[in-house]
Amino acid sequence: MEPDEIEHYVQPEAYDLYYSWLTDDIPFYVARAKEVRGAVLEAGCGTGRVLLPTLQAGADIDGFDIHPGMIEFLKQKASGLGLTPRVSVADMRDFTMPRRYALITIPFRAFQHLLTTADQIAALRCMREHLEGGGALVFNVFFPSFDKLIRPDGEQMLEREFAHPDSGLPVAMYVTRQTDRVNQVMSVEREVVESDARGYASRTHRDRFSLRWTWKPEMELLLGAAGFSRWSVMGGYDGRPLERDTDEMVWTAWKD
Amino acid sequence: MEGLSAVPVSLGAASPGLAEGPSPYTRADLYDLLFRDYAADLGFYLGVAREAGGAVLDVGCGTGRVLLRALEAGLDVDGLDDSTEMLARLRQNAAAQGLAPRVTEGDMRAFALPRRYAGMLIPFNAFAHNLTADDQLATLRCCHQHLAPGGRLVFDVFSATPAMLATPVADPVLELETPHPETGRLLRLYDGRRLDVATQTQHSRIAIEELDAHGRVERTHRFETTVRWIYPSEMELLLRLSGFDRWAIAGGFDGRPVADHQGAIVVSAWRGA
Repeated sequence: MEPDEIEHYVQPEAYDLYYSWLTDDIPFYVARAKEVRGAVLEAGCGTGRVLLPTLQAGADIDGFDIHPGMIEFLKQKASGLGLTPRVSVADMRDFTMPRRYALITIPFRAFQHLLTTADQIAALRCMREHLEGGGALVFNVFFPSFDKLIRPDGEQMLEREFAHPDSGLPVAMYVTRQTDRVNQVMSVEREVVESDARGYASRTHRDRFSLRWTWKPEMELLLGAAGFSRWSVMGGYDGRPLERDTDEMVWTAWKD
Repeated sequence: MEGLSAVPVSLGAASPGLAEGPSPYTRADLYDLLFRDYAADLGFYLGVAREAGGAVLDVGCGTGRVLLRALEAGLDVDGLDDSTEMLARLRQNAAAQGLAPRVTEGDMRAFALPRRYAGMLIPFNAFAHNLTADDQLATLRCCHQHLAPGGRLVFDVFSATPAMLATPVADPVLELETPHPETGRLLRLYDGRRLDVATQTQHSRIAIEELDAHGRVERTHRFETTVRWIYPSEMELLLRLSGFDRWAIAGGFDGRPVADHQGAIVVSAWRGA
């Protein structure tokens, strides 16, 4: 990936703040890791938001991320918890691990940082090569909802408000999007504003990143092109069918 | 990164288990009366056939709307269609014009013709009748096999716009009204559409009304049909997976950029020399 596409991961602490509210995917990925007989690999493990709870649950999990700063921060957090994770810096399009895995996961839309078809297929192939026979790749991406597609370009919108995990003070996340509907790429400029006790802005973080959305039949073509012959998709972590365009697509693809 | 105010739109509007009524192609006579004068794509496809500079195959030639005009223009065009009724109507039309078309009844996913073609056409959204990726790939591979080296496949296919996704269920609207060429009585076509955004299929309930001399509905014929839309990136992936190594996708017959398409994309794909 180009450096500007991963700019927002340069500050791992800010990243943890941005997604402090996001926890609903953790039990799902921990459960997948615990139920398999064999090793687990997490691609795009970042600061360990999912990987550390998975380790704590006793799973045999390795991880990698493209950004050294994220891996460094993950290790710091792990040592605070008395854990020694096996994590490394690698690119999901072209990585080589010594082990083969019963399960490979790509949580929280990390797959969507792959901005071209060629990159998507390269990553899926590389994942498949690292699976044992009968192993599964599990990952989630957003469904390209009507709501997402029609958002006006270049207009700043309040995306989310949440309480700071340490202070409880309000944090507001604003995003400005540019949408390329032909290439299915959404470029996002983000401003995250922390407020003080009086409600005044006390600190502002800025970053930018791009995500590519993939339609359901298109994803099936990609999985087929990468050598997978069997897959399924759910509409959420609770296993419900994909029914609404605001559902998360949670994919499982098996290596025969 | 969920939005604050996302309003869910149901993905499964067209499914599940809608009983399929008869295909509109079973009434080739009505189809032909309604669409014989449709010409928005005609100049484009005749141009493509002419530029091919050799044998051309019209895939999904139907009642011969494009094919017979190409024959009239002296071009070497064969036809393929999977509907007996449509081909019978084509032959009638051809005989009335003193033309002798070479047409074959066959499935676009699995046909075997003796010739190799410099040009292949799939006009008027016929490709969208391929409802699954397997069907789409089979059709493209079969076309690729029938192209001469350097030959070009050209087709237009439905591609949904965000505006279409906003209204996944639409009430029947009057799409077409045309006088019967002999009786002068009106024929009307209504189409009610339901989109399934997950499978990218549009289910149409079609009603064709025949009006009497006083403008009252005399008969109503009901049909159902399903088409599958394709996004530009997905189209490129399909072309790549079916053996094409060069292609261009436009947003209309006028060659506008694909970003400006109004619900259909126009694909050109070349077989390597």
